[in-house]
Amino acid sequence: MSGEILGIVLRRIAVAIPLMLLVSILVFIVLRLIPADPVAMSMPPNATNEDIEALRREMGLHLPVMHQYAIWLGHILEGDLGRSIAFGQPVFKLIGQSLPATIELAVLGALFATAIGLPGGILLFRLRGRPSEQAVDVGSTLMMSIPEFLWALFLILVFGVAFNLLPFAGRLPPDMTIPRVTGFLLLDCLLTGDLTAFLEAIRHMLLPALALALGTVPLIMRLLRSSLLDVIGEDYVTMARLRGVPERRVINRHALRNALLPTLSLMGVQFGFLFGGTLLVEVIYSYPGLGNLMVEAVRNTDLPIIQGAALVFALAVLTINLAVDVVYIVVNPKLRRAR
Amino acid sequence: MSLLALNDVNVTTEAGGRRIDVLRDVSLAVGRGELVGVVGESGAGKSMVGRLIAGMLPKGFATSRGSVTFLDRDLLAMAPRERTGLLGDAIAFVPQHPMTSLNPVLSLGAQFDEHLRRLGQDGKAARRERALAALDSVHLPRPADLLGRFPHQLSGGQCQRALIAMAFAGKPDLIVADEPTTALDVITQARVMELIDELQRDSETGLLFITHDLRLAAQHCQRLAVMYAGEIVETGPAAALLSDPLHPYTRSLVAANPGIAGPVRRLAALPDHMPGLSGFADLPGCRFAPRCPVRDAACAAARTALTEVVPGRFVRGAGACRKQASALAGQDELPRAAADAAAPPILSVDGLGKTFRSGRDWLGRRRAPVVAVDGVSLDIAPGEFVGLVGESGSGKSTVARLLLGLETPDGGRIVVDGQDITGPFQRTAKQRIALIQMIFQDPQSALNPRQRIGRLVTQSMEVRRPPARWPERLERARDLLGQTGLPQDTIGRYPVQVSGGQRQRVNIARALCTAPKVLVADEIVSGLDVSVQAQILNLLLDMRAQRQISMLFISHDLSVVRYLCSRVAIMNRGQIVEQGPTEQVFRAPQHDYTKALLAAVP
Repeated sequence: MSGEILGIVLRRIAVAIPLMLLVSILVFIVLRLIPADPVAMSMPPNATNEDIEALRREMGLHLPVMHQYAIWLGHILEGDLGRSIAFGQPVFKLIGQSLPATIELAVLGALFATAIGLPGGILLFRLRGRPSEQAVDVGSTLMMSIPEFLWALFLILVFGVAFNLLPFAGRLPPDMTIPRVTGFLLLDCLLTGDLTAFLEAIRHMLLPALALALGTVPLIMRLLRSSLLDVIGEDYVTMARLRGVPERRVINRHALRNALLPTLSLMGVQFGFLFGGTLLVEVIYSYPGLGNLMVEAVRNTDLPIIQGAALVFALAVLTINLAVDVVYIVVNPKLRRAR
Repeated sequence: MSLLALNDVNVTTEAGGRRIDVLRDVSLAVGRGELVGVVGESGAGKSMVGRLIAGMLPKGFATSRGSVTFLDRDLLAMAPRERTGLLGDAIAFVPQHPMTSLNPVLSLGAQFDEHLRRLGQDGKAARRERALAALDSVHLPRPADLLGRFPHQLSGGQCQRALIAMAFAGKPDLIVADEPTTALDVITQARVMELIDELQRDSETGLLFITHDLRLAAQHCQRLAVMYAGEIVETGPAAALLSDPLHPYTRSLVAANPGIAGPVRRLAALPDHMPGLSGFADLPGCRFAPRCPVRDAACAAARTALTEVVPGRFVRGAGACRKQASALAGQDELPRAAADAAAPPILSVDGLGKTFRSGRDWLGRRRAPVVAVDGVSLDIAPGEFVGLVGESGSGKSTVARLLLGLETPDGGRIVVDGQDITGPFQRTAKQRIALIQMIFQDPQSALNPRQRIGRLVTQSMEVRRPPARWPERLERARDLLGQTGLPQDTIGRYPVQVSGGQRQRVNIARALCTAPKVLVADEIVSGLDVSVQAQILNLLLDMRAQRQISMLFISHDLSVVRYLCSRVAIMNRGQIVEQGPTEQVFRAPQHDYTKALLAAVP
C-alpha cells in the first residue's frame, strides 16, 4: 500500500510541475502589466535619461519579455528570488523568515476548523428534525456569511478588549524573545525548553487561528451533516443495526467513515483558501508572517517580494491538495489498486 | 411450540388524517428448524413483517394490535435495549442487496471481527479463526485471502455468502432472509438457495424467507404464506399451495408465471395493480376485491377472516371466491408465431465485436482490455421476437448499446432493413432513429420526470427538421397511448402520477413513436411485479400480432423469454454459445452453460 501511495504522490508532483510553471508565467506577466515602473521608483528625482537607461540595461529591462522571464526563472531555480526593493535584502531570506509563522498559523487554523467542524457536523446530524437544529443552522449560516477579517476584528473586540482574556498582537509578549532555530516558533520554544514562552506563543495564536477557521467550520458542518444523512439510509448501515451493533457505534464506525469522504475533499479546497486568508488576518493581528510581508510589499510596490510570495502561496495550495489526496486514498479503499 | 409467532398483528400508520392498517390481522408461525416463506408482490407488506420482527418499524408506524412472541417472550413488551441484544445473536438477518450491505470502507475481516466481538467472542486470534471457519462453511475458497478484501473486490454471490456466514455464525434461533437472491443471477441464486438449505438443515435454526417469487419459495420452504395489500390471503404446505392454489390471488400469481415447461398459454393477467398504502383505507372489506375475477357485492363490504378449508390450509375469503376455481384457468394455447423463413431478415448482425480499453493503473499502465462482445451474429425476421439471454456481465446489454449506436463496434456489421448502420452514431443517427428504437429497463429513470407524458412519448419528433408542430405531436401521442392500452387522460400527467406498470407502457409507447422496424428491449419486465409483468407481456404479443414488429428481447428470465420469443440466443462472456428455436433449446440444450441456466430455474 505504501508503494501505491508513493506512486500517487510522484504522479501528482509530476502534474504539479507544469502547473507551477504556468503560475510563474502568470505572476510574471501580471506584474509586468501593472503600471508601476521599478526603475522610476529606484531613481532619485533628479536622475537623467542616461541614468535611467543605464539602470534599465543593468536590470535587464531592455530585453524581450520572454527573455526576462527565462532569466527570472533561472534565478528562482537557483534559489534566487531577487532583492527586495524596499528592504534591500534577498527575497528568499525574507520569505524564509516569515513563512514558518504563516505555516504555523494556517496549520492551527486548519486544526481548529477540523476540531470544531467535524463534531459540529455530527451534532447537526444528531439534532435532525428537532427545533434546536434550526437554531444551530441559523448560527452556522451567520458564521459562514461573515468574512474572516470581520471575525478577526470581532474576536479582538470580545476576547481581547472587552474581556481582556487573550493577546491580539504579534507572536510573543514584547519582553520575551526566543532564539531562532527552525523559525517555527512553537518548535523553537520546545527546543530551547522554554515552556512559558510556548504557552504564550499558543495564546497569541489562538485568536488569529480561530478567525481563520470560523469561515470554514460551517461548510464542513453542513457537508458532513448531509453526507451523514445520505449514508444513514445505506444498506450497510441498516445491516449493521440488524446485526445488533449499538447505535453510537453504527454512527461512528459505519456511517461516519463513509460520510467523511466528501467532507475530506471539501477540506482540501477550503484549507487552500484558508492559507490565502492569512493575508488579512496577519495584518490585523500584526502577525509577522508571509501575509504581512506581502501586504507590506504591495504597499511599497516591492515587485520581487510580491512575485516570490505569490509563488509560495501557489505552492502551498498545491501541497495542501496533494496532502488531502493522499489522506483520501488512505481512507477510501476503492481508490487503492485492486489486488 | 413455535419459535416465532405473530398473532393477529396490526401495524398502523396515519396518512392524510386517516388510520391505515399497513399490516392487518397477520398471523404467522415459524418452528425450530422450519423454513417458512412469505410471498407477495412489492407493497404487499412482506418486508414490514421483517421490520416488525427486528423492531425497526419506520417512523410513524406502530403495532396497534396483536403480539409477536419469540421463544415464549413477548417481543413488543421488551425493552428496546434488550431487543437490540437479540439482533445478530438470536435473530439474524440476510439482506436483499448483498453488494451494498457490507461497509465499503472496512475490510471483510474487520466486519467479521466486529460481528464476532458483538457475539461475545474474546481474543482477536480466536475471532479470526471463527471467521475463517464461517467463510469455509459457506464454501468460499481461500477464506484467509477474503478477510483482507474490501466489498467492492467481491462479487454479489461472494458478498451474499459472506453475509450468510455472518448470519449463521452466532448459531441464531431465527434467520429472516428478505429477498436474499433477488439481486443475484439465476445460477448464483440457485447456489445460494442450496447453501441456505444446507446450513439450515444442519442446524436448529428457523428461517423466514421473504420473497416475491412463489416458485422459488415453494421449492425451498415447507410452508408458505401469501400476502396481498398487508393481509395474508392464504397459508398452507408449500407443495399443495403451488399445485392447487385456493385463493383467487394465489391462483393468479401461479397463472401469471409463464413457466419453462408445458404448453404456452396466454397469461391470465389481473387488471390494474395492487393499491398503495393510502389506498388501503378505502378498502374496508376484502382488499383484493377490486381486482378479483369472482368477487360479489359482499366481498368489498365485509372484512373477511382466514378460515381452515382443508386441514392445514387457511384461506381468507367469504367462501364464494373458492368455488369458482375454473374462472382463471382454461386459456387457449398460444399459437407460435412462425416467422417467415424465406423473408430477408429485418435485422442482421454479423460478427459484432466490442472491446473496452479503458483505465490505467496508478503507474499509468493500461489495464487489461475487457472483451464485452465477441463475434456475435444474429438475425431477426420481420415480426419475430428473438430472446437474448445471459447473466449480468455476459455482454447482452452491450449488444443493445451497439445496436442503438450508443457504442461504436470494433468489428462486424449491423444491417437493419437493408441499410448498414454500423458506423458511429453521429453519422447514422437519422437512419437509426427511424429504424430501431430501445425500450429501457427502468422507466422511472428513463422518463424525464419534468415532462408530461404527451411530450415524452413523442420525444423523437423533436429532432425532425422542421420540428413537428404541437397539434401533430398531440395526435400522435393519443394514438400511441391507445396502442399501449393507456387511458387518454394520462397525456397531461407526469410520470410520477401513474403506476409502475403504466410507466413501462409509456416507455414502450415512446419507442413506438417513429414506427421503427426493430425494438430492442433490455430487461423491460424485470422490475415489475408478476401480475403487471403479465399485462406487459400480453401487450407485446398483441403489438406483434397487429403490427408485425420485430424485437430483440434481452432478459435473464428464461420463462418470460419462452413465453414471448420463438427463437432464443444464449450469451455467456461476450459470445453466443447457443441459438435456435426456443422450444428446441429449452427441451434439449446443447451447451453446458445453457444446461446450467435451465437447471437453475426454480
